[in-house]
Amino acid sequence: MSIFLVGVNHKTAPVEIRERLAFNDEACASGLRQLVDGEIVREGLIVSTCNRVEILGATSNDQLEFGAGRIAQFLDTSGSLPAGFLNAHLYRHTNEEAVRHLFRVASSLDSMVVGEPQVLGQVRHAYALGVEAGTVGKVLSRLVHHTFRVAKRVRNETGIAANAVSISYMAVELGKKIFNSLKGSSVLLIGAGEMAELSARHLVNAGAARVTIANRTEETARQIANEFGAATVGLDQIDQVLHEADVIICSTGAPDYVVTEARTRKALARRRNRPTCFIDISVPRNIDPAVSNIPNVFLFDIDDLESVISSNIREREREAERAELIVQSEVMQFQQKLRLMDIGPSIGAMKQNMQDVARAEMAKQRKRLGVLTKEQEEAIESLLMSTVNKISHPLISQMRRFYESNETDSED
Amino acid sequence: MRSLLLAVLAAYLIAAIHSILAFVNKRRSLQRVAEWSTAAGFILHTCALAADWVIDGHYPLFSLREALSFLAWALVALYSLVLYRYRTHAVGAFTMPLVSVLTLVALLFGTNSSNAPAAFSATWLFPLHTTLLIFAYAAFFIVFMASVMYLLQERELKLKTFGATFHRLPSLTTVNDIATSSAALGLTLLTLGIATGVIWSSTRFGRFWRNDPKEIFALLTWGLYFCLTIYRLTPHWRGRSAAWLGVVGFALVLLTFLGTRFLGSYHVFG
Repeated sequence: MSIFLVGVNHKTAPVEIRERLAFNDEACASGLRQLVDGEIVREGLIVSTCNRVEILGATSNDQLEFGAGRIAQFLDTSGSLPAGFLNAHLYRHTNEEAVRHLFRVASSLDSMVVGEPQVLGQVRHAYALGVEAGTVGKVLSRLVHHTFRVAKRVRNETGIAANAVSISYMAVELGKKIFNSLKGSSVLLIGAGEMAELSARHLVNAGAARVTIANRTEETARQIANEFGAATVGLDQIDQVLHEADVIICSTGAPDYVVTEARTRKALARRRNRPTCFIDISVPRNIDPAVSNIPNVFLFDIDDLESVISSNIREREREAERAELIVQSEVMQFQQKLRLMDIGPSIGAMKQNMQDVARAEMAKQRKRLGVLTKEQEEAIESLLMSTVNKISHPLISQMRRFYESNETDSED
Repeated sequence: MRSLLLAVLAAYLIAAIHSILAFVNKRRSLQRVAEWSTAAGFILHTCALAADWVIDGHYPLFSLREALSFLAWALVALYSLVLYRYRTHAVGAFTMPLVSVLTLVALLFGTNSSNAPAAFSATWLFPLHTTLLIFAYAAFFIVFMASVMYLLQERELKLKTFGATFHRLPSLTTVNDIATSSAALGLTLLTLGIATGVIWSSTRFGRFWRNDPKEIFALLTWGLYFCLTIYRLTPHWRGRSAAWLGVVGFALVLLTFLGTRFLGSYHVFG
């Protein structure tokens, strides 16, 4: 069996094309049923996300060319595009290349932000749809399960997803660096912007126990507060809550400093100098940079966050190089597995062939034996067959053992 | 017991190399190797010390060689405690190399340990005195290491330049906690160690204080760590200044442990 993959991604096609090709769940199921005919395309799977539309198929070795061509055609028609329009945007991979591509996609090496966690879930979803539509057979199911394993290995063995690459998540990363765990910590949002809200959500997911929102209009604050079970205060009451907060995220539209040095010194004395993490994502800045001079206060403005993020992205890219090595070795393992998958049919064919040879030899010599009784005929037949079986048995079990040992080697 | 100590050294070296590699590469599998070889080294080392005790007929902590080997053993014990309590593998990358060096030096000193005067092993007070102090030194090394980690990270957080160590060291709170609890432990051990020394000295020589350089430095060290511990145990977060004290304090510890040999102290080893 051969595997092939045809598709577009964010690098090869602009969003105008990708959106026309995208499949929702129903379209995916009906598309698969239409595509997989058991003849040219034996098995199929569609991975459709906002950054990619890829069709994975399996076919017999001699139909490989037709299969890939047919899928390209299928994409043209399903996107209602003129035939051949997609050629400039499509990539086609076969066998080893197709396997490598899928491994890289699921391990998030092919993503816009390397190491983002969503894509694996999307591949998992695509697999579930394929199973539901009945278009995933032995080959693709093996491949996809191997893919999950590769993605897991990459995630566990490299730091590809280790460091935050979004501003909203930086609060969690910095908080952990200072407090070790955010469990039981308390968060103060000054200003209730979207970014602050998103950061707060990450912090709560990481274990933050209390959220307080200080906003100019308490109305907006209360809307967000309901979501977190947060308390709300007016902007003029910050002094009463500042000392309680471990992480403070500031994003008001105020033209000058809301959090001043004097204010912070007072708050820090009240909280017995315990470290505090200030994150100022507002422009113009709302936290006086001089706050940073106070011991145990760690202040990050938007530029600081950006520079940390870009260094984190570089770190991820370094880790991605290690991930590529893992992918490479896994591709080789899978290729071997695939070759061995064909052993079942080969054993049957081999046995049949040996039996045929024995029968043909017998037919040649039959005349010399003269007339035989039915029992004698049967005895000769069973003699031939048991000889063939006894000779081939050790060979076949050797082949099976070899196959199975490879199987278990690559399963663990 | 030289061959046994060689095996100990081998185990510690493997642990040190794997700890460093795990620290650099952030690899969990390497960490596991480091932990197992540390455990193996520790068990072998315990056996070696016990064997020394039986064969030489005195508590295996008298000569400088024995002191270094014992100190390595104490460091591994405390490191294991820290690892168990805080799950901070980074500590191993700094402790295990030192442990390996101490074990190596102990090996290089050879085995011809002069037998300790009977007076030293006659009472349990003297071995207790030295054991407590060795463990106190080990605890102060942990304080020192945690303090350095604190200062490095605090600096990075303040300057917002996150270097290679940033993603590899434990959090500020963790290293602060390690330093605080190790300082308290070290101070307790040092207090008991000095107390047993004073009692032993007064029963043997009839004097509890001899104005010996080591005694003076020990008292200074005690004073410094007493201040440090009190300072740290107040409900206020001390962070940076306490970390600096932990670094300075360790310099004094080194002076007390090794430096006083050159000041004509009667507290010489062997």
